[in-house]
Amino acid sequence: MRIGRNAGSYVVPLLVLMVVAFDVPILLMLAQSVLSPHPTVAHWAEFTESPIYFRVLGNTFQIAVITSAVCGLIGYPLAYWMRGLGGRAQLAVVTLVLLPFWISILVRTYAWIVVLGNNGFVNRSLIGLGITDRPISFLYNQLGVTIGTTNVLLPFLVLPLFAAMLKIDERLLQAAATLGAPRRAIFWRVFFPLSLPAFAAGLVLVFILTLGFYVTPAILGGGRVPMISNMLDVLINQMPRWELAAAISTLLLAATLALYGVYRTIAARSAS
Amino acid sequence: MRLTRRELLATGSALAAGLAAPGILRAQGVKEIRMIEAGGKSGDSMEPYIKPFTEATGTKVVRESPNTFGKLRSLVQAGQTNICLFEAGSTSMEQAKALNLIEPLDWDAIQPEAMYPEAKDPMGFGWQYYSTLMAWRSDAKAPKNWADFFNTKDFPGKRTMQDRPYGLVFALLADGVPVDKLYPLDVDRAFKAMDRIKKDVAIWWSAGAQPPQLLKDNEVQYAVSYSGRVAGTPGIDYTYEQAILDLAYLVVPKGANKADKAAAMRLLREFSKPALQLEAAKIISYTGPSPALPAMLPKDRLAEYPTVHREKQVIHNVKWWFDNADMIEKRWQQFKLSL
Repeated sequence: MRIGRNAGSYVVPLLVLMVVAFDVPILLMLAQSVLSPHPTVAHWAEFTESPIYFRVLGNTFQIAVITSAVCGLIGYPLAYWMRGLGGRAQLAVVTLVLLPFWISILVRTYAWIVVLGNNGFVNRSLIGLGITDRPISFLYNQLGVTIGTTNVLLPFLVLPLFAAMLKIDERLLQAAATLGAPRRAIFWRVFFPLSLPAFAAGLVLVFILTLGFYVTPAILGGGRVPMISNMLDVLINQMPRWELAAAISTLLLAATLALYGVYRTIAARSAS
Repeated sequence: MRLTRRELLATGSALAAGLAAPGILRAQGVKEIRMIEAGGKSGDSMEPYIKPFTEATGTKVVRESPNTFGKLRSLVQAGQTNICLFEAGSTSMEQAKALNLIEPLDWDAIQPEAMYPEAKDPMGFGWQYYSTLMAWRSDAKAPKNWADFFNTKDFPGKRTMQDRPYGLVFALLADGVPVDKLYPLDVDRAFKAMDRIKKDVAIWWSAGAQPPQLLKDNEVQYAVSYSGRVAGTPGIDYTYEQAILDLAYLVVPKGANKADKAAAMRLLREFSKPALQLEAAKIISYTGPSPALPAMLPKDRLAEYPTVHREKQVIHNVKWWFDNADMIEKRWQQFKLSL
């Protein structure tokens, strides 16, 4: 037990640092919604009485759902394909999936303008090939934001899912094949159910992360796709209505924690 | 170089004053002062004022950016006293007054040279005029006024406007409201006019750097832009006709360190000198608060500067925007949701 106690004494300063520097300020900030300038429910009342805030929240959740779905549709086949690759090819593909992590999110977001803008590479190619005669609006709408968020968040789904797929026992699949199951049945009745917990956990993770996106809607949304972070930015930096921002943040935090609970439950099931 | 006797005398006395002054001011022992400003080229255009100040007093000036209003509130509430100057737009300054976030300037200590009256606010030093105007690609059909800008049939092309409600003024002007009848804004009418153009506004911009870039990239053909961002840019035309003229202020956050504030007042004196304002105006096409400045500006670039076109423009009505801030913000968010 000596070792355990020593480890504890190492952790305590870190814990204190976290509580003092991170948790307490967050609580103080959230408390503004009911305590500033004096104990009041006025800010919450204003929040609940204005349909705008709920609609922006709804819009944010909608984009989060779409992003999770698209990440799932692209990410699952990608992870499955990666699982089947040989050693060196697999390493190369994992590197390619990881690569975006090493580039600033700001750079990646702006890069989409170069690629998908009216004068961008894709539109010029499409016009050059005669497929369309006027540029297609990929950006500055919900599509643009979804492309941006998917691009940033795909690795968050693919990497854990790929790791989980590697852990699936090959012998189970062989057993199913021995018993005469066709390939499709092996996938749907053995492989997919085994990968499902990790897949669902990945989807929830992407969903949670999308809720907090700020840069992507600001740049690729062209100010036309309201998301909650951008609204908080206005309330905090321009109005400044910190009390209202605190009320919205509290609700957002609660929703995120609830989703995190779901994520933990699913992840625990996937681990067992 | 030949000097006349008068110039020689003037130079000599300036030198003497320069030699004497640092001793007095250094005695206060302020090694550096910190300020928060808007950043970009506008921030760079503070250097012509800072350089002579530092030479005369030995006090260095550290600039930080950007100057979001939330920053002012947080540094005052946190009791941070090491920022002695903060750049605030005119509406932000009113908010700051109402929230008790700033303290009065010491105009007796500043001893400014002549300034436009609105620039000499008890709580703020109006240091830079800027305009919000219409700009367009040189290859697009040139609009003359906001009615043209809002007329997407005769002036086809995508638009970009600021992602703030200030554009409502343009909507009303486009709808035929005369300048002297603008305020109080008829908000319902303005949003109706906005509804007419919204499908042609491809991007609602949030950073001043966006409109010139979007015009250059041909993402849009017409833009609402800050004047200094487009003035003198090849391939982009603009007009000050019916633009909004506004003024950025330097304010002192409440509770700022006394010695720092005293040094800041000395720095503000430099900001009032027309010769230095001329240098700043060469860095970015915004203009300082001296009435003498327009006559000094380079003749070939005269058309670029906001204060030269005072009469053509609408003065930003700070009081109305301040009084209606909450209402207008909600309406704006609602409008944005209808896009």
